[in-house]
Amino acid sequence: MMRNHPLARLLFGLVCFCAFPVLVNGAGIDGDVERQALNPLAILIFVLFVVTTLFITYWAAKKTSTSSTFYNAGGKITGLQNGTAIAGDFMSAASLLGITGLIFIGGFDGLVLGLGAFTGWPIMLFLLAKRVRNLGSYTFIDVVSERLDKTQIRSVAILGTIVTVILYLIAQMVGAGKLIELLFGLPYEYAVVIVSGLVLAYVTFGGMLATTWVQIVKAILLLTGVTLTAFLVLLEAGFSLDNLFQAATLKHPKGEAILGPGVIFSDPVQIVTIMVSMTFGTLGLPHILMRLFTVSDMVEAKKSVAYASGFMGYFFLLMVVMGFGSIMLVTGESQFYGADGKLIGGTNMTAIHLANAVGGDLLTGFMSAVTFATILAVVAGLTVSGGAAISHDFYAQILCKGKPDEKKELFLTRVTTVIIGVIAILLGIAFQNENVGFIATMPMVVAASVNFPILFLSLFWPGLTTRGAVSGALVGLISSVTLIVIGPQVWVSVLGFENAIFPYNYPALFTMPLAIITTWIISGLDRSARGEVDRSNYYLLLPQSELGPKAAD
Amino acid sequence: MKSDKVRNFIQRRIRRRFIFAGVTLILYFSYALNYTEAGSFLNQRLGNSYISGSLLMYGLIIISSILLEWIFLRTQEEMSSEGDEG
Repeated sequence: MMRNHPLARLLFGLVCFCAFPVLVNGAGIDGDVERQALNPLAILIFVLFVVTTLFITYWAAKKTSTSSTFYNAGGKITGLQNGTAIAGDFMSAASLLGITGLIFIGGFDGLVLGLGAFTGWPIMLFLLAKRVRNLGSYTFIDVVSERLDKTQIRSVAILGTIVTVILYLIAQMVGAGKLIELLFGLPYEYAVVIVSGLVLAYVTFGGMLATTWVQIVKAILLLTGVTLTAFLVLLEAGFSLDNLFQAATLKHPKGEAILGPGVIFSDPVQIVTIMVSMTFGTLGLPHILMRLFTVSDMVEAKKSVAYASGFMGYFFLLMVVMGFGSIMLVTGESQFYGADGKLIGGTNMTAIHLANAVGGDLLTGFMSAVTFATILAVVAGLTVSGGAAISHDFYAQILCKGKPDEKKELFLTRVTTVIIGVIAILLGIAFQNENVGFIATMPMVVAASVNFPILFLSLFWPGLTTRGAVSGALVGLISSVTLIVIGPQVWVSVLGFENAIFPYNYPALFTMPLAIITTWIISGLDRSARGEVDRSNYYLLLPQSELGPKAAD
Repeated sequence: MKSDKVRNFIQRRIRRRFIFAGVTLILYFSYALNYTEAGSFLNQRLGNSYISGSLLMYGLIIISSILLEWIFLRTQEEMSSEGDEG
């Protein structure tokens, strides 16, 4: 009965969509897409989550009366809270379902995405967290515009932010709609509108405060679910990793080959391009950088990143147990396979099947609801970031020259948020026939090739000028989009050509250095008066960026 | 004089940032060795155990990075007590 319930269909569809980025790596839904029998507990937990988060939104809405509160929750979030929210924002369902699914297919090879996603965080702590917090107010664009020509650099950085956020949103929307349509025959548009509707409720009324708490709740649920599942897997393996790996090699068709590389990936350049894109893309994600401004000062910002890093390190270590546990407990178990002999729901559903194997309906329901919560939390963070880029960076700082009417700005922020949600729905519908893998590849590559070089060089290179930064960012944007288009995902999969002109899906290994070299050359050749101001600004801002606002006096 | 002291202090902190970031990136990109001939020894199992060098490397990189963060924060506290953090 329950399996035909529209809500049940929707929930399962959403669970599946979260893992869509796995498609980027060639490990798409390869199993029968027959419907799953959902237990009522999953729906109950899901409803509880929605009610709780809407209550949080109601509470946050009463406190969100200024644009400052909207953008950064008034800067009153503690380091631990913010670290948890960052982890909630960043540990996507793709990480949970996608990486587990990849390990299920290829063993060790599936771990590269986990390592790539994790390593951005120590680098964030060492290089960016404190300096970004000391120089900015609401967005990373504030940081770069402190030093460079505000109008020019804001324009290009807004472009980078909007492109990243919109691509992220499109990938999520298209993934949601397609999987639900594919699996359950529900109209594509319904899924897209429902996801957007809930997120818009959080963000439009509760701003960053509601978004933060939704992300905190989600992070706690996710870490609890993964910990519980991993514990039960280890219980099955006698709390011995050696037993776990041995059992996995006995079950997997590739045997001991899964303990090392080569089952999915074998080209070292391909591995390095993925690693560069994941790590430096993380350092340029606007919605992640924005979270550094929700705390009171640089000390709390550092603590935030350290906590986030600890949570994520723990999470990505548990992925080893989850992945190899799924090989041990899901492979060959008839209840997880369809009539055609393929895994029900495809490899992206491996983590959910694992939860079922070790914890029955109770854990399956919990993990399904957690995955749904994950989608909402990530999309909410993206929406706040996109809204701030338009209303704060464009309207308040460029159009109003930094002196906007407070109420008008807040109103515009909410309107912008709704517009972004509507755009996401429309683009999600418009792109429904496109390859999601292609869309999902782009945000990390664009962030690594546009946002990260501008931010890093403005903080650490005295020679940077506005002209150089704008040129480098544009070269990064154009080259990354071009190489993605002529790469395998678009050239072969979307456009139907036999061979790709460029062989790699994640071109950041090439586009990020290209952006940096362009910036370096143009800045070096820049003899303008503005260029001199930009260079001297580095030394003027250095004490503030390194030692805090008091040092500026 | 005071500004020279502050500048030197800031330079030391920047150097330290890059040293920690550099070490982390070297650790991180050493993972790609798994996919080369030079790193083929990593693919072997450790003795009779089913834990391979590659898997051990994954765990060690994450744990080392967290340790580096901890050392970074501790030494920064010490440095801050030496200088005027502001």
